[in-house]
Amino acid sequence: MSRQRPVLIEILTAIGLFAAPFILPHLGFSPTTMSRIVVWGLFGIGFDILFGFTGLLSFGQSAFYGTCGIVAAYLLTIVGFPYVVTSVIIGMIAAVLVGYLVGLIALRRTGIYFAMITVAIAEVFYFVEFNPLSDYTGGENGLPGVPTPTLPLGLITIHFNTDWSLYAFFAFWYFIGIVIALRIVRSPVGAVLSAIRDNPLRAAAVGHDIHSYKLTAFVIAAAFAGFAGGLLGVLQGFMPPEAFTFDTSGQLVMQTAIGGTGTLFGPLVGAMVWLYLSDFFQNTLHLGATWKLVLGVVFVLLVCFLRRGLIGGIKDLYEIAGRSRSAEIAPEQVALAANLSAASTQSRALGKTHSIAAPAPMPTHRRETDKFSGPILDAIGLTKRYDGLVANSDINFTVKGGELRGIIGPNGAGKTTFFRMLTCEVPPTSGKIIFEGRDITGMSVTDVCQLGLTKSYQVNQLFTRLTVRENLTISALAERRGKFRLDLLRRLSKIPGLTEQVEHTLDLVNLTDRADIPVSALAYGEKRRLEIGLALASSPSLLLLDEPLAGMSLGERIETVKLLKSIARSRTMVVIDHDMDSLFELAERITVLQEGRVLVEGTPEQIKGNVAVQEAYLGGVVAA
Amino acid sequence: MINWTNFVSQVFNGVVLGALLALISSGLTIIYGTLGILNLAHGAMFMLGGYAGWVAYSYTGSFVVAVIAGSLFVMLVGVAMERIIIRHFYSRPHEDQLLVTFGLGIVFVETVRFFFGSLSKTVFAPPALVGITPLGFMFYPTYRLALLGIVALALIALYLVLYRTRIGMIVRAGIEDSVMVDSLGIDVYKIFMLVFGIGAMAAGFAGIVNAPVVSIAPDVGEAVLVQTFVVVVIGGVGSFHGAVLGGFIAGEIISITSMFNPGYSYVMLFVAMTLVLVLRPYGLLGTAGRE
Amino acid sequence: MSLLEVNGLNTYYADSHILFDVALTVERNEVVALLGRNGAGKSTTLKSLMGAVTPRAGSIMFDGVEIAGKKSHDIALAGMQLVHEDRRIFGSLNVEENLILAGLTAPNRWPLERIYAMFPRLKERRLSRGTHLSGGEQQVLAIARALVREPKILLLDEPFEGLAPIIVRDLLTTCRGLAEAGQTILVVEQNISAAMTLADRVYILNNGHIVESLTAQAARDQPEVVRRHLGV
Repeated sequence: MSRQRPVLIEILTAIGLFAAPFILPHLGFSPTTMSRIVVWGLFGIGFDILFGFTGLLSFGQSAFYGTCGIVAAYLLTIVGFPYVVTSVIIGMIAAVLVGYLVGLIALRRTGIYFAMITVAIAEVFYFVEFNPLSDYTGGENGLPGVPTPTLPLGLITIHFNTDWSLYAFFAFWYFIGIVIALRIVRSPVGAVLSAIRDNPLRAAAVGHDIHSYKLTAFVIAAAFAGFAGGLLGVLQGFMPPEAFTFDTSGQLVMQTAIGGTGTLFGPLVGAMVWLYLSDFFQNTLHLGATWKLVLGVVFVLLVCFLRRGLIGGIKDLYEIAGRSRSAEIAPEQVALAANLSAASTQSRALGKTHSIAAPAPMPTHRRETDKFSGPILDAIGLTKRYDGLVANSDINFTVKGGELRGIIGPNGAGKTTFFRMLTCEVPPTSGKIIFEGRDITGMSVTDVCQLGLTKSYQVNQLFTRLTVRENLTISALAERRGKFRLDLLRRLSKIPGLTEQVEHTLDLVNLTDRADIPVSALAYGEKRRLEIGLALASSPSLLLLDEPLAGMSLGERIETVKLLKSIARSRTMVVIDHDMDSLFELAERITVLQEGRVLVEGTPEQIKGNVAVQEAYLGGVVAA
Repeated sequence: MINWTNFVSQVFNGVVLGALLALISSGLTIIYGTLGILNLAHGAMFMLGGYAGWVAYSYTGSFVVAVIAGSLFVMLVGVAMERIIIRHFYSRPHEDQLLVTFGLGIVFVETVRFFFGSLSKTVFAPPALVGITPLGFMFYPTYRLALLGIVALALIALYLVLYRTRIGMIVRAGIEDSVMVDSLGIDVYKIFMLVFGIGAMAAGFAGIVNAPVVSIAPDVGEAVLVQTFVVVVIGGVGSFHGAVLGGFIAGEIISITSMFNPGYSYVMLFVAMTLVLVLRPYGLLGTAGRE
Repeated sequence: MSLLEVNGLNTYYADSHILFDVALTVERNEVVALLGRNGAGKSTTLKSLMGAVTPRAGSIMFDGVEIAGKKSHDIALAGMQLVHEDRRIFGSLNVEENLILAGLTAPNRWPLERIYAMFPRLKERRLSRGTHLSGGEQQVLAIARALVREPKILLLDEPFEGLAPIIVRDLLTTCRGLAEAGQTILVVEQNISAAMTLADRVYILNNGHIVESLTAQAARDQPEVVRRHLGV
């Protein structure tokens, strides 16, 4: 894998922004257009973090763009506040507050509902701006008279009042925006956002408070939108009502998709294409409003065939041209990978070796219940009813610390439902679950994982767009940082103990030499090991495994049983599986469920010889 | 003091608007319920209906022909959209589906702008329905009364098709479990095409019959789209009854608040939507499971 | 020519290999049972036959026509019907609508009276919505729905699971009657005794492999064979 220096992108951006005024005018770009592109680019950085990185498609960004712009313009014109940048920042804070409140409402739902709500938000803000608040916002005329910024530098004062000086002003802020965005994307928060886009269910199950992270992304997008909106007022000399329209949100979406989502630079490229074409069509070809039709068609074609946009397409071309795949990973993956690889090279250089045979020491963690001496898990009277159907009935289930327990049962026994209650994926209809002395009934999956109880899934729930190492990092991040932390500007490599945790887990599941391979390239058995690894990386004291042997060949089963035995040494495990032979070899005690109840419990030998169990599997109802 | 005649008039407007929204939203919701696709081009379908009708009207001078032409044209557009593009997106992520219908909506709007310009055009109501009707305590524009009747008939027709015909039965089964419908020997892709066509037609029909009231312009669809979304969130996605209930609620909210301040009507809609989201996340008549 | 001839069937869920070179045949008018523990791949086999999942490799010859990889509705039109293990009746439709819908594209659909004669309980509940039926009634409806189409072969996925013994008894009687009347059935079951009373022949599936193929009588004579693969 290529180790691009993290600073490379920032340097290239600075060079690009600096060189642009010397190159682009020859292609027909006026300085005002270039300023516009940069402002749209900045607007889009936040949107890309929300959509490209977190997967939340919002059509309502214009609300924040307009809000900040209006607040800033209001301060600068009607109130007469003289400092441009400060006004824009105040406006941005307003946008952030609004974004937070709106996010609380909009993020109650996901996917389609979320998109619908954001569309509604855009329209509401537009109408509010237009009418009830028109005294403040200028209604359909906007707020005129926004001044250009000045920068007092002691002896001289720079007035940014020419086209080119304004471009420099905006380009500067774009650069700041990109630097911050790159930091965010490379931070633990950025990693969690990518995980949320990929598999929100699993991100929550490994211990992240995904709602708070989504809200964070939403507020970040609002902040960038807001700042750009403030700059728009400065650019145009007045604050137009068009900033609030649904059209503006739509244009942002289209530009980002055209440029390429998930790249941070997509909106900039998209804005270049958009504004250039609109200029070209209107001024050169004199075709008036047709440009938007052409762009619309281009957009639809891109969504159909070139989903990763222009930047994605260029990357694909490079790959076709024969350059190695690893060099062309998207900036965020480069950033994430570079940080992780750099850190892991460090640790390998320290000469650590691990082997599966040696008992693996558990990394220490800060859980209060470490000293608890009773049974690690005690489920009492657990019942689950769905309408008329009783899936689990009055189950009492106790596991001692360090045990390796197996659960079996014929179809319809309620094993899956039982596990889902233990991890708190579904709430029990009645009954209690005591984990390490603490009542966890009714808690969330995330909180339970943070307490040390987690599960590996029957159907792989991996972060498919990430590499093996990145997958485990997501899980370890929750263990290291708790369920939510706003460490937006921290580098991943600076998190204490993270690399050790990841390397340790890689070792446990025997994936160390596949660490930097993307999940899509793994063999099935390797994916299953990663699935277990994801659960292990959160350092559980109690690990539940739902059919770990599902879909495996005989050879894979033997390997996996060996693996499970080795990881069982330092933790408590409960395994459900249908493969009797493997399970009997693995488990010390077996619980048999039938028709939602516990039938019997005992050692594998006892169970094999138990008549009731035989009946449950072979008998059933004898026909009349 | 409230002007009571004005108030009653607005309530009436609310009923008319509500019926229209109910019809348009039913179209959106059965498409979403059956195919799982949120059609962001739905507002454009409304707009296209108006224009197709206007074109027909210019050639024939007959309002009835205009309504038929508008509805049929949009149905064909819907069928073509599903067949050529949407069909390939069923297995793609939701966001891609949203993007493509959004893009198609833009293309439709800009195409119309290209051919017809941006200025609005008037569509004339049939002479028999022009003027004002005395209603005892107030006067009300005749065409709006007729509009209420027409839309109500269309809603009833849609209801009858959904709940009293074989094809409606298939559609309702498809909303619940389209894979099982396929297992019973019914080509579910054909059903999808039909549902998209019907859903689009509902919007197109609304577009042309409403045209005499608001004129047609390339951008009329945008406001309709937003209002439709609010209706569907309030009523519950995938539920025909929810669309009707939500439609009338939204219609009344818009009409009554616009008495006080037109800008506030959107705010009130949004407040209503937020309340529903907080108290009954799946809508008033919706069911869990469709996201 | 056998009615159903499966060879080299390999099915995956994503890249989880579930069925390994599964081969089986079903002759006309016979009842074949596919036994195995859960997780063995029994449901997946039936779903592969019906087109609910697409096999990655292998051949499924149904009445002389290759149907592997075809769409479900085409396979239904060819005369195959599957009663899913979770029944999947349309809850928003009533009993009668479920039956009518099933027969719409069937060339030889059974008239409603015939269905009601066979399942009087359904006639009593004909206007009840699917969601208001009990588990047993839903199962009966699911089977009736399949029969409406007069399928050449009826695939039953764990039809007796989760039902009260008395209902299982009734259902068994009904199925025996169907078998005696000549209906070809492929039934997947964990309930060995119920399956054995119906079946003429038995296959045993273990971890995605067919490990045994014997007549029902042979299976009754050598219970340890069954026990080895299905017991504990």
